[in-house]
Amino acid sequence: MERIPILKLGNFLLVSIQVDMHDQLALNLQDELTARIVQDNAKGVLIDISALEVVDSFIGRMLANIASMARILDAETVVVGMRPAVAITMVELGLSLPGVRTALNVEKGIEILNSLVARNTDEYPAE
Amino acid sequence: MQDSLKNDPEHLGKELWNINALLDKLGLLTTETYIKSKEEIIRRQQEEMLELSTPVVKIWEQIVAVPLIGTLDSARTQTVMENLLQEIVNVSATVAIIDITGVPTVDTLVAQHLIKTVSAARLMGTECIISGIRPQIAQTMIHLGVSFQDITTKATLAEAIKYGLSRIGYRISRIESSKQQ
Repeated sequence: MERIPILKLGNFLLVSIQVDMHDQLALNLQDELTARIVQDNAKGVLIDISALEVVDSFIGRMLANIASMARILDAETVVVGMRPAVAITMVELGLSLPGVRTALNVEKGIEILNSLVARNTDEYPAE
Repeated sequence: MQDSLKNDPEHLGKELWNINALLDKLGLLTTETYIKSKEEIIRRQQEEMLELSTPVVKIWEQIVAVPLIGTLDSARTQTVMENLLQEIVNVSATVAIIDITGVPTVDTLVAQHLIKTVSAARLMGTECIISGIRPQIAQTMIHLGVSFQDITTKATLAEAIKYGLSRIGYRISRIESSKQQ
């Protein structure tokens, strides 16, 4: 069965979606990712969708869901590398992903995550 | 022809009618060709205007700006959006400035288009600033119930550039002031 690899990158998890997403794959990813966040004690999740050419409303909602789930599990989510055409389509669909952080590429995504995690740990320095 | 068909008024009438019809058709053809060529020119100029009117300029290494001039309709917004997003990818921009100093009127539809562009840019991970909202337009927009919530707005392009530079860690300062220190 097709699987989407989840790579561990220091404190963060990198999910690079390289194949066209279908609904079951998206649900599996949700399951697996939440499990990995807990298992690896991850502080951040990067979802790279630069290879994704089609994002429908289901995938859009799934991205938003993953972000909210990750937040509950104390991990920040950044969606990186959305293509211009995909961005236009999503806006036309009315999916502007209000709760999701975005970045242009993985490098900038990691920067954002680093600053977010630094801020979160600053708030609770007693650890 | 009148002379030769003097004795046959019926035939004469028929011929005259034919000539009339021919002349009519010729006239119609001329007018149609004229209008067609005019329309062609208008269409071409419209296309050229569309291309010319949406330049995306790079302000600094991670800042791009689109100075919008003229009325915004769906077709133009589409072009602006596509050009802007493409340029954001090309220069990997962190901040995009949309300057609407040259937009004469902002109604709900135009505002909707602007919000769409800003959301699309945000989805790509770029912060969008709208600048150059004239006082009159600000008043109209509030009366229309359009307020750009969650969108950074600045009064002038200069202010927007300053803000954009500060976002990527630059600061504009006067040279003399550094000498005095």
